[in-house]
Amino acid sequence: MPAAEAILTVSHVSHSFGGFRAVDDCSFEIAAGSISALIGPNGAGKSTLVGLIGGAMRTQTGSIHFAGRNISRMSAFKVARLGLLRTYQVSREFAGLTVMENLLVPPPNQRGESLFNALFRPSLGRVQDRELADRAFEVLETFGLLALRDEYAGNLSGGEKRLLELARAVMAEPKFMLLDEPMAGINPALIARLDGHIRRLRDDHGITFLLVEHNLDVVERICDRVVVMAFGRTLAEGQMSELRENPEVVRAYLGGGLDERAAG
Amino acid sequence: MDLILPYLATLVVFFFIYNIFTWGLNIQFGYAGVLDFTFITFVACGAYFAGVFALGPGSQQNGFEWILGLNLPFPIALLAGALAAGVLGILIGLIAINRLRSDYMAIVTLATGTVIYGLVSNFTPLFDGFDGLAGLSPPFAQALGLNSNQFTYLWVVVSGVVMVICWFIAQRILTSPLGRTMRAIREDQDAAETFGKDTIRVRLIAMSMGAVLAGVGGALLMGFIGAFSPAGWTSGETFVVWAALIVGGRGNNWGAVVGSFVVAVLINEATRYIPPVTADPTLIPTVRNMLIGATLILVLWVRPQGIIPETRRRFFQLPLRPGSPPVQEAESARG
Ligand SMILES: Nc1ncnc2c1ncn2[C@@H]1O[C@H](COP(=O)(O)OP(=O)(O)O)[C@@H](O)[C@H]1O
Ligand SMILES: [Mg+2]
Repeated sequence: MPAAEAILTVSHVSHSFGGFRAVDDCSFEIAAGSISALIGPNGAGKSTLVGLIGGAMRTQTGSIHFAGRNISRMSAFKVARLGLLRTYQVSREFAGLTVMENLLVPPPNQRGESLFNALFRPSLGRVQDRELADRAFEVLETFGLLALRDEYAGNLSGGEKRLLELARAVMAEPKFMLLDEPMAGINPALIARLDGHIRRLRDDHGITFLLVEHNLDVVERICDRVVVMAFGRTLAEGQMSELRENPEVVRAYLGGGLDERAAG
Repeated sequence: MDLILPYLATLVVFFFIYNIFTWGLNIQFGYAGVLDFTFITFVACGAYFAGVFALGPGSQQNGFEWILGLNLPFPIALLAGALAAGVLGILIGLIAINRLRSDYMAIVTLATGTVIYGLVSNFTPLFDGFDGLAGLSPPFAQALGLNSNQFTYLWVVVSGVVMVICWFIAQRILTSPLGRTMRAIREDQDAAETFGKDTIRVRLIAMSMGAVLAGVGGALLMGFIGAFSPAGWTSGETFVVWAALIVGGRGNNWGAVVGSFVVAVLINEATRYIPPVTADPTLIPTVRNMLIGATLILVLWVRPQGIIPETRRRFFQLPLRPGSPPVQEAESARG
């Protein structure tokens, strides 16, 4: 693989909950413009690492750099403003807002968000909202949520909430998407379409992706590179096809899954 | 007629002022989910500061003491009260919101309010301690040559005008992207952070703007009654405003109006004329609070979202295809 510039660098990051090391001396780099995957068995520390990168928790040891900035101790909203967007493994929709409103919250630099403009120049916000709503219509159509636009997000089904999570992420126009199990709970037909969206977002908009994903077929199809984690550590890195051959990886994680797939 | 009209006018003044209160709490809690359990402290702040801006200097010889005493016209005093309450909103917000989870927010606001209550009612040089401010002559009455009934009618107009301004403030925030962000933060603060929203700052804005409305209402009370003391802002008063908002419907300013009418006008007035069967002066407020509490529980049971719940914002685009004319936004109440 050509050595592209790293947009995200995780170096020697550890994180403990009480005495338990959920993340243990993790290091890897993500190349700008790549689609990478972070895989590993349940409890490997993937979501914890996502939280650390996204600023939900402060990094205890080690450092995380994004786009040349040290984000190890940055609060979540500042990390987001640098263009790094993380999603949650469990859907975190704004339940009391409609689907449409859920999509209008993420866009950055909304002029109507300043108190002064809200009070004295409400038309600024309205005009911008109209543009954002136009874009939101397209995104909703892409994700098949258009008919649900006026529904309260809290009333959506589990799968629809996952789609909403992705649709919102697209509206935020990030440089980097860090998606924690985005495909979990989405039906296979839709997964195939989402693959396409992710690749298109990378190709057309240059967005870098790091997916935490359990579906290894998806990973193999769309990811350039894979980082394998187990017991809080990075175990191996490389392409999915190589990793399937790596005995350590097979033992720690892939074992059963690989055999089933090979048989099937 | 001579008795009924001034009485009704007084009711209308209280109704208007309570609308302003309930909208203020709606901005804090209904929009942004800030659990402000010391709302009445902001009302008091507005009333006191409006008072000491409008009153003359307190003199120790006569047993009155208070800070400032600037003898300024009432409109300036009202703005001063609003501003002071807004600043206090930021200060209490910084203590309660900064890095605190929402369940602690409630108790911290209550604690801060209790400290302020103790300070103000015991430290006389500030606002004359437990006796409070008194002796403010009815604003504009002398200049316009009004008697006390006419002043009441004037205050219907004054508080009505101020109320309309407050309505626009509350509605403009609600319908702006700022209001949408506040509601998103109310729903899920962490998720809002991941979209780059500075949730502390936005909730401080909500806290402060709610406090400004509280202060405005407090200043109107001060101007109307001419006096204000700690007996008028016990923590039970915060409960009345909360009850009005929950009964009426949080997140909806029309709901707030309904709530303030039911709780602050109907129940208040219904209990005011309870025959004094006992010599117990606390009977009426006790019965009032019991009635308010019962109403609150009833509403939470049968209609937990309030009498007029939050409006669902609907977006239409016709015809429904990309590249069609701009989206039109319409609002319709949720049935
Ligand atoms: N907030 C927490 N407090 C205590 N332990 C946690 C917490 N979050 C995660 N853990 C533990 O850390 C380990 C890693 O969890 P997680 O990062 O969610 O793994 P993964 O996403 O790879 O399945 C697990 O053993 C989990 O129980
Ligand atoms: Mg996980």
